[in-house]
Amino acid sequence: MVGKKLTKQEELLLQDFSRNVTTKSSALFYGNALIVSAIPLWLFWRIHQMDPYQSALVWAAMTIVSTYLVAFAYRNTKFILKHKVAQRREEAVNREVMKSLGDDKKMSRKEKDERALWKKNEVADYEATTFAIFYNNAFYLVLAIILSFYILKTTTPTMYPLRLNV
Amino acid sequence: MRLQLVLIGVLAVCFGNADEDHGPAWLLASKTLHNQFVVEGKELVVEYIIFNVGESAATNVVLTEESFHPEDFELVRGMTKTKWDRIAPGANVSHTIILRPRVYGFFNMTAADVSYLSSEDASEPVHSYTSAPGEGGIMRYRDFDRKFSPHILDWAAFGMMTVPSLCIPFMLWFRSKSKYETIAQQSRKTN
Repeated sequence: MVGKKLTKQEELLLQDFSRNVTTKSSALFYGNALIVSAIPLWLFWRIHQMDPYQSALVWAAMTIVSTYLVAFAYRNTKFILKHKVAQRREEAVNREVMKSLGDDKKMSRKEKDERALWKKNEVADYEATTFAIFYNNAFYLVLAIILSFYILKTTTPTMYPLRLNV
Repeated sequence: MRLQLVLIGVLAVCFGNADEDHGPAWLLASKTLHNQFVVEGKELVVEYIIFNVGESAATNVVLTEESFHPEDFELVRGMTKTKWDRIAPGANVSHTIILRPRVYGFFNMTAADVSYLSSEDASEPVHSYTSAPGEGGIMRYRDFDRKFSPHILDWAAFGMMTVPSLCIPFMLWFRSKSKYETIAQQSRKTN
């Protein structure tokens, strides 16, 4: 068994049940997380009137922490969503793949099924990734506004970035 | 009838003489701030009202305001030293100055000085003071802006910044979802 090469199906299954993401997805997650973590800094500066020079260190530290946490949220949400999306799209993806490969007589049934499975995984991965980013971005921004303007209204603005990341 | 005429004559003399013997002028002065909030860098309106509650006219009325030091307050409009030649008994006058605080923090607003001659033949002026608003706080501009400014442009800019982070992932997801739901619906119809 040692050194046995995994089939495509086994690889896909391993990928399916793993929370690990590809390098490309990871870069996408961290990039988006950084952007969405930096957006509330505008509110802290312009509306809460925090001095950017005095608050630079706090802002930088909290943005980094927030980026990590938001990317972590993306990963987890994507993992949960992927299975649900895969179940919903199975029929449509199979139909699409069979339609495109239906006339190809060189390909065996097994290869077509593998291709459909791969396509289903790809579609599920794509939709889960995009929806996870959208959902977590919306949740983070709404939470940032509610926390800093309503719940933490009476505290000093310096505390906002710290508490936002708790 | 004769007795009545004598009585009327006596009363007329009494009241006639009473006109020449008035009490002195008596001025009451108030100093009020028209602002609900005193804010650094924003106009502060101070109004002085002087009432003559005495029986004579007050002359050479001088109002002197020295509590707003030029280092702490910029005089925008009005004069800190004002003079009225005469304030009739029962009359009142008002004076307003507009200042702009240069600093923030606690500030004790003391009374302004009022001096006047209590009658037309008085030589020594009477010194009096207005009411004093007392200690108050001058709010920092940043805190006032944070609390009260609508920040419409800032919110609009925030909205513009959030659009790519929300709309792009949503549109990408929605496009894929629509495509495969259409395919699924078509396959259900053909089946």
